[in-house]
Amino acid sequence: MRVTAAARSLLLTEFVSAFFLAMRYFFKAKPTINYPFEKNPISPRFRGEHALRRYPNGEERCIACKLCEAVCPAQAITIEAGPRRNDGTRRTVRYDIDMVKCIYCGLCQEACPVDAIVEGPNFEFATETREELYYDKAKLLANGDRWERELAKSIELDAPYR
Amino acid sequence: MIKLIVDGKEIEVPPEYTLMQACEAAGAEIPRFCYHERLSIAGNCRMCLVEVKGTPKPVASCAWGVRDCRPGPKGEPPEISTRSPMVKKAREGVMEFLLINHPLDCPICDQGGECDLQDQAMGYGADTSRFAENKRAVEDKYLGVLVKTSMNRCIQCTRCVRFASEICGVPEMGLTGRGEDVEITTYLESALTSELQGNLVDICPVGALTSKPYAFAARPWELGKTQSIDVMDAVGSAIRVDTRGREVMRILPRVNEAVNEEWISDKTRHIVDGLRTQRLDRPYVRENGKLRAATWSEAFAAIAAKLKDVKGERIGAIAGDLAAVEDMFALQDLMTRLGSANLATETTHAFDPSLGRASYIFNPTIAGIEQADALLIIGCNPRKEAAVLNARIRKRWRTGQMKIAVIGDHAELTYKYDYLGAGVDTLSELAAGKQSFADVLKGAKNPIVLVGAGVTARSDGAALLAMAAKLATDIGAIKDGWNGFAVLHSAASSVGALDIGFVPGEGGLTAAQMVGEGALDVMFSLGADEIKLPADAFVVYIGTHGDRGAHRADVILPGAAYTEKSGIYVNTEGRVQIAGRAAFPPGEAREDWAIIRALSDALGATLPYDSLVALRKALTEKVPHLLRIDQIEPADPAALAALARRGGGAIGKAPLLSPIGDFYLTNPIARASAVMAECSRVASGQILTAAE
Amino acid sequence: MAEFWTSYLWPLLVVIGQSLLLLVLLLITIAYILLADRKIWAAVQIRRGPNVVGPWGLLQSFADLLKFVFKEPMIPSGANKGVFLLAPLVSCVLALAAWAVIPVNAGWVIADINVGVLYILAVSSLSVYGIIMAGWSSNSKYPFLAALRSAAQMVSYEVSIGFVIICVLLCVGSLNLTAVVEAQNTKWGLLGWYWLPLFPVFVIFYVSALAETNRPPFDLVEAESELVAGFMVEYASTPYLLFMLGEYVAITTMCAMGAILFLGGWLPPVPYAPFTWVPGIIWFMLKGFFMFFLFAMAKAIVPRYRYDQLMRLGWKVFLPLSLVMVVLVAGVLQFAGLAPQ
Repeated sequence: MRVTAAARSLLLTEFVSAFFLAMRYFFKAKPTINYPFEKNPISPRFRGEHALRRYPNGEERCIACKLCEAVCPAQAITIEAGPRRNDGTRRTVRYDIDMVKCIYCGLCQEACPVDAIVEGPNFEFATETREELYYDKAKLLANGDRWERELAKSIELDAPYR
Repeated sequence: MIKLIVDGKEIEVPPEYTLMQACEAAGAEIPRFCYHERLSIAGNCRMCLVEVKGTPKPVASCAWGVRDCRPGPKGEPPEISTRSPMVKKAREGVMEFLLINHPLDCPICDQGGECDLQDQAMGYGADTSRFAENKRAVEDKYLGVLVKTSMNRCIQCTRCVRFASEICGVPEMGLTGRGEDVEITTYLESALTSELQGNLVDICPVGALTSKPYAFAARPWELGKTQSIDVMDAVGSAIRVDTRGREVMRILPRVNEAVNEEWISDKTRHIVDGLRTQRLDRPYVRENGKLRAATWSEAFAAIAAKLKDVKGERIGAIAGDLAAVEDMFALQDLMTRLGSANLATETTHAFDPSLGRASYIFNPTIAGIEQADALLIIGCNPRKEAAVLNARIRKRWRTGQMKIAVIGDHAELTYKYDYLGAGVDTLSELAAGKQSFADVLKGAKNPIVLVGAGVTARSDGAALLAMAAKLATDIGAIKDGWNGFAVLHSAASSVGALDIGFVPGEGGLTAAQMVGEGALDVMFSLGADEIKLPADAFVVYIGTHGDRGAHRADVILPGAAYTEKSGIYVNTEGRVQIAGRAAFPPGEAREDWAIIRALSDALGATLPYDSLVALRKALTEKVPHLLRIDQIEPADPAALAALARRGGGAIGKAPLLSPIGDFYLTNPIARASAVMAECSRVASGQILTAAE
Repeated sequence: MAEFWTSYLWPLLVVIGQSLLLLVLLLITIAYILLADRKIWAAVQIRRGPNVVGPWGLLQSFADLLKFVFKEPMIPSGANKGVFLLAPLVSCVLALAAWAVIPVNAGWVIADINVGVLYILAVSSLSVYGIIMAGWSSNSKYPFLAALRSAAQMVSYEVSIGFVIICVLLCVGSLNLTAVVEAQNTKWGLLGWYWLPLFPVFVIFYVSALAETNRPPFDLVEAESELVAGFMVEYASTPYLLFMLGEYVAITTMCAMGAILFLGGWLPPVPYAPFTWVPGIIWFMLKGFFMFFLFAMAKAIVPRYRYDQLMRLGWKVFLPLSLVMVVLVAGVLQFAGLAPQ
């Protein structure tokens, strides 16, 4: 027995079988996609960059209830609320998300009673400076305007499962 | 005693108990909306339903006396169930009805997170509504600048109506309409005139009445809560300071049965924005007639240079209304080291602490008002000087067991009283027994003679005080187990200052003398803003706000407001209370005692304590009773006999009017507050209040 | 003068020219070998590997080169500056120097010396100095420990490589590498190359070469993820590049040695047309690349050894085994009368 074992190890039988196994994989079709030019389809529930949505009439949805701020496990959201000047309704004075702290768990959009804060399909928002990742209300609303079609679509697609 | 079985547990309760009280005594929790311990019973929300064995329907426990419970057929005690399926179903039904017209706008409601309806709906609410019709809509009402209404949310518990008429004594709210059209209203859409209206927000179990200045500012779960003591008046109401980050967001009352029950005045509650505006956040030094921003060391150097060849008797110190005991103690210590006996506060010149503590405190205690059966108010408008205490007087008066008479302002005090007159001669007449109320006082078991700021703020206050003490002694207000001589101070610092002897020492000048022309070379002002500081002295102002004192100052040392330091305050009863620190002073501002300690170093008269703990140790060594927090050191009534004997000086003929002109603007913090300014304008009729 | 020209200067210029040519070609080869390394590794893991810089990522290595060169070179304040900078030079230059005696085709060798094999052994033994110098001069405990570890490893496997080479030399009867290749030129083609008759020795050579060049599964000198690149911890920019270059040059040297000692150098696998029409350099490169492919596959399929396993393998398996092989080969040659004269 010891002789066979010694012969096996000397003749690298395991190495050889591993080699052929590796060669089988070597010629397999690669699942890698050519990323910046090709993209995988993403789920309607994908949790990417945040956006603050508006109603179709242009009214911002957020009512400053602060539930997202309360639920945020990373405490990445900072909200200051106050009565809006023209009609006294409850609105945010400040709505900041620290995208560096954010863990993209999606609890904020779960908590939102008016579908205002959502995590959109966009995941390509890398920046050159850290400061640019401190999103403020203007940036989030702009995101909402930019992605509204996709956001509305994903919410619609996901609605039957909620 | 009546025997009951609550949830299988046998208890005995007094016969005047309601079922709800009996259930709570048995440890059962009863949900309620309309019921409130300090208000009359309405029984209209029906949330407190319990099952009483033998009755066909569940009964509202808040409105059902234990006397009314029938015993069982064999005489066994009545059985009550608070958790049976029937009770649960009944309460769920009530909840469903309440929610039919409730808008469920919790996300935009300021009550969200501390809402009784929200909490109870967690226990008794259904997840969906069966009500498909339109909800009713109710127009919001105008209630003044402090209370915001959102009447859609109202569940018609009528707590606010009862609070306004019973506690505030301003029957300005009511319920109109029937059925679905029922509405809470002020009838005329005019602002409430009570100084306690802020409590409506606490009273309201839903978000129908919310705080206007605090609208949408913060959520309850964001707030850090610090227990503290109010300094707006000398009552020392127990408060809770809610902070978010470094910022004080709101002030709420705490329950303290002995002082404020669970009410606080509007000034206490809505002063918050004054803590942020007009703040002194760095030292200033006056150069060529103008104040220039400076560093601490520059400011200390300027003071040291000025003090270099000034003799002790040319230095003085005045403590303001909001000073904590520690701050005054440190300043007193420093003045002693500088060789000065010129110590005074703005309001206590009429008192002599050497006579004894009974001569300057509210001897019967605030809770003691509820034992009193006659009250003579001299030179005081308690509604403005101590709104919460006024509510206590009203509470006693409503029982019909206390007669009240007033010498001084003929003001609306929310209760009926005999108006005797405003003058000093009225007081003399009363003392001589010529007024009919004298007999009431003499015949009373527990009479109180309440002396207010209208007496003690006068230059002849000492003599008037002695007169009042004599009156109290003569009518028999001072006897075993009862001391009816009550001084109602107007400033939170007063009793503390008198306790530590922050009064002119031997040969020392009084406040009035100190501010005279040429009396002093250097004056230290510990937040003294109500007094006109001398024009020719070098004024060192240690304070928080850019108010009158800071404008006159030659050196400004920025201090900490009462929410920003831990300090001992002694209220008008002589109750020692400790205020907690909720926030930090802005900018370079520091705690006042620390400023005085650092200044003492710069002046070469170093004070021997480096921490607040060490300072308190030194303080309590000198004045031991300050160690006994939340207690009143028993005062020897002999002091009053001494005071009465001493008499004192000539008495002027001016009427005994309360010096507090505007309730909302009595101190620098209040004057910096926009909310207080608006309240003041509304109260004085400068702006229209109706919502037209 | 003419004599000086013909006998000294001209040969010198020729040697310099040859060396430069070899150097340039070698570096370009290494650039692509590096890329191949990553591509092979990726392919086994069903990835694509670098494919962005240039078509199919062909310019990736040059991009890396530029990246390294333009990075900020950092020298630790406590380091011995001279030695610190000398170390990468030493390891790189020594690795390159080995190529002086490697014949890539018949007669295509810069220095066709008779002690080529000894020269290679000597130079590759010296390369451990580069590592020791780097580890010591960094004046930091991690590089120092790593350098000791690396030195021990390289010394251990050099012993067995030495015996492996002796086995081949016994068969050849010469220390000249060209002679080693020529000795394998038989009419049986690839079956006459030494890999078959000396198969156990070839296996030992292969494994020892992996260890000698710090390749996985014996890369516990560097162990990028765990030991943060071992003795190179403190290096960055061009000095680091030189280390990496030296390492890959050493790998190519070992591949070339494998091709020469066991795979018949530039000889065609079948000694008949049309195979003989193909230039020898192509065969040599194909064989060298085959060796490298084995190296790369080892990296892809074998998990890393533990250090004690590595030492046990070197001293307790390979050393006795290669000794036995030396005796065995010598005995067979002697008694079968096959020994070269």
